[in-house]
Amino acid sequence: MRVRITEYLDIDLEREFWCCNRCGGDLISAREPYKRGCLLHERDPREIHKPISDHPVFNYSFDPDWVRIIEFYCPHCGVMVENEYLPPGHPLTNDIQPDIDALKRKHAGGGAS
Amino acid sequence: MTSLRDQIKLHEGLVYDRHAYGKGPGWDPELIVEKAAPLSAIEREGYDLLSDVELEIFYHKMLTIVEEAREVWQNLSISDIILAGDMSTAVFTPSGDLAVASTGIHFHALLNYAQSKFILKYYRDDPTVGLRDGDIFFFNNPLAGSTHAPDMFTAMPVFHEGELVAWAEVGGHQGDCGSVSPGGFNPYATSRFEEGFHMAGVKIGENFRIRKDMLDYLCGSVRNPFVFAVELRSRVATCLRMRDRILREVERRGPAAVSGGLRRLIDRSSELASDRLRQINDGVYRSILFNDTIGAEKGLVRIPVTVIKEGGEMTILVQGVSPPNGKGPVHATWHLVRASQAVYLFAYFFRGLMPNVGLFEPLTFLIEGPSVANSPEDVAHTEGTIISAAVVQSFHIIGSKMLFDSPFRENVSAPFSRNMVALVFYGSNLFGYRATGITSTGNGAGQGARFDGDGEHSTGFYWASMTDAGEVEEFDARYPFTIIARGLLGTDYHGFGMYRGGSALIEVSMAYPNPVVMTSWGTSDVISHNPGLFGGYWGPPNPRLTITKNDALKLMAEGALPELTHHSLAAERQLGGDYAFESSSVNPKEFEIGDVFLCDTGSGGGYGDVLERDPEAVMTDVREGMISADVASRVYRVVYNEETLRVDHAATEALRNEERQARIARGKRFDDFIGGWLAQKPKEHLLTYYGDWPDPRVPGYDKPFWGEHD
Repeated sequence: MRVRITEYLDIDLEREFWCCNRCGGDLISAREPYKRGCLLHERDPREIHKPISDHPVFNYSFDPDWVRIIEFYCPHCGVMVENEYLPPGHPLTNDIQPDIDALKRKHAGGGAS
Repeated sequence: MTSLRDQIKLHEGLVYDRHAYGKGPGWDPELIVEKAAPLSAIEREGYDLLSDVELEIFYHKMLTIVEEAREVWQNLSISDIILAGDMSTAVFTPSGDLAVASTGIHFHALLNYAQSKFILKYYRDDPTVGLRDGDIFFFNNPLAGSTHAPDMFTAMPVFHEGELVAWAEVGGHQGDCGSVSPGGFNPYATSRFEEGFHMAGVKIGENFRIRKDMLDYLCGSVRNPFVFAVELRSRVATCLRMRDRILREVERRGPAAVSGGLRRLIDRSSELASDRLRQINDGVYRSILFNDTIGAEKGLVRIPVTVIKEGGEMTILVQGVSPPNGKGPVHATWHLVRASQAVYLFAYFFRGLMPNVGLFEPLTFLIEGPSVANSPEDVAHTEGTIISAAVVQSFHIIGSKMLFDSPFRENVSAPFSRNMVALVFYGSNLFGYRATGITSTGNGAGQGARFDGDGEHSTGFYWASMTDAGEVEEFDARYPFTIIARGLLGTDYHGFGMYRGGSALIEVSMAYPNPVVMTSWGTSDVISHNPGLFGGYWGPPNPRLTITKNDALKLMAEGALPELTHHSLAAERQLGGDYAFESSSVNPKEFEIGDVFLCDTGSGGGYGDVLERDPEAVMTDVREGMISADVASRVYRVVYNEETLRVDHAATEALRNEERQARIARGKRFDDFIGGWLAQKPKEHLLTYYGDWPDPRVPGYDKPFWGEHD
């Protein structure tokens, strides 16, 4: 049984696996951060948010000295599952750590937690 | 079985469940962290007097009382911020707990209890103060439970035949409080003693009237005495109206039924909140934001949030926060961070439930201190809302991730825009009296994109969706400046995504008809507090722009003023003049007649992958000036005819598939990526106020994900 957890992430409860909602491809064990099962790409934020003014710093875009974008892609279909805006080198965010056992109980008919 | 909550390791030597400062003259932080008080005698007596149906009717009656009070206040006030809706009216139990709140700034209602509880504990039986029918109390001291000194709160006890049956209270942003900078905000303050007067639960009136000596003292302490006096009187009139209405209910239902009914509303909200929590998946959820200023200086500041949801309870952990710096006013208090979460919880997460303190009963707040989120006593506090708002933004992201797989998916969205650049003016207005305060442009924040659609433009105030950005003509009369353009057009100035973020209201104003003193404070000059969701890109930063020695007045006289938008000024410089793009935290400066200011609150973040946005919606964005042709093709990968805006769907799909394949080609496996990423570090001068890198509280932290403490 697959449960849709986010816009782009499902969990296969029997196999306890994160899967891509768009292509169905496997990412990684649902007891691991799903980001470990993605492809990662670091971006200079100005590639997406082009400076609007000509000021070198205060230009309505992100300063890459302060922040970079990390994009997380499904390795099978290339959909962007999530992104993070972090200072360069900052550890990533394990943003969703579901209680898999509670989730399985819920969908086994035990109701919500 | 180990609970999820037990997996959280708190750092020794720091406080989490209470303030980082102790008791002082007029404040007792232990009172502020308490949950709803035990049933008092009158509450117990009346707790079951109303049937379930009568309780529902009673709630709606009380709601009409606070909503009417909101109307009364706005009709009496001449303070622009109150007129715009940055306020709340509320009824509290005899013990001082929030039972019924109007629309408006809910977190104000969650702070006002502090003075009631302090008065009940320390002043009620004090022969020099006491608590009697007709008393009027006032407080604005952040240490005593306020937001910051410019937010001011007024309270009146409601007695019936000598028995305390409720409290009627109002809270709202007043503005000038006698701080070093006009308007109350002082981005360069280094201690609370530079932030104006601080009053903590002071009795300013008796027998239903404001004492003349107190009124003179207060008006003599601020730069806008006329506005202040009218404003304070309007607050008291509002409390009196609520008192009258509550007493009618007492006459109808009896005092115990009213007091017990108010208390039962809190318990009912608590039960409903727990019920809702049980329908949401258990787990640990995280989000993190960074700030780019401490006030006077630029510097990276870390504000991470972890939420542990288990059964009918939820713990909000703010841990690994940058330490207090004592060099600026960006310091929040424990109670401010807690109360601020009502902004998200009441409007989204617990949407539909009665907004009162009962919704907080199933929640535990652990806010690390001393830190910028739970600050010590003597630091400056005026911009602490930057920190508490960052926690709200992260909580909003976390909440959306919790709610997606729940019966409440309709509440899933990226947060409101909160890239504040608040222009704070001081000068004489058209009426000839001195006025000071912030513009209400912040009340036109862009909404974050939603799970099923784009974010709305100029939706409301970040802190309170039911607000108004004010009428331009009103502002022109009341403020020492003139608004010369308002609009939504900020081309490429929002978060892109499958659904895009909404645009903020963008205001162009001018010093006119007099010179003005203007300062500003802000949150996001080079980074942003407007995150996207599920792969949506973020709303971009917004620094301050002023244009001096310009030709605007000349062009206006000639009828030749160009359309003034964010893009036409910031990108195209369609006005002649000296353009100053700078940090939003700037000391007060006098501006000449005709000088122009650009102000907005940034725009909302996007939702979902840009490659999944309907190409026709992209064309609508191009047509409306929301995005440029460059973004349409470079970011959204839409192939179209630039003259007709007709989409080539087949070519678009091919281009998007090509980009998906390019992502797979350039993306790295986690193990191949993480080493190189973690080897990077921001430049040292950015980390002066950060604490240890990358975890301010854990020297040498080297794990790939933050928040994983052994």
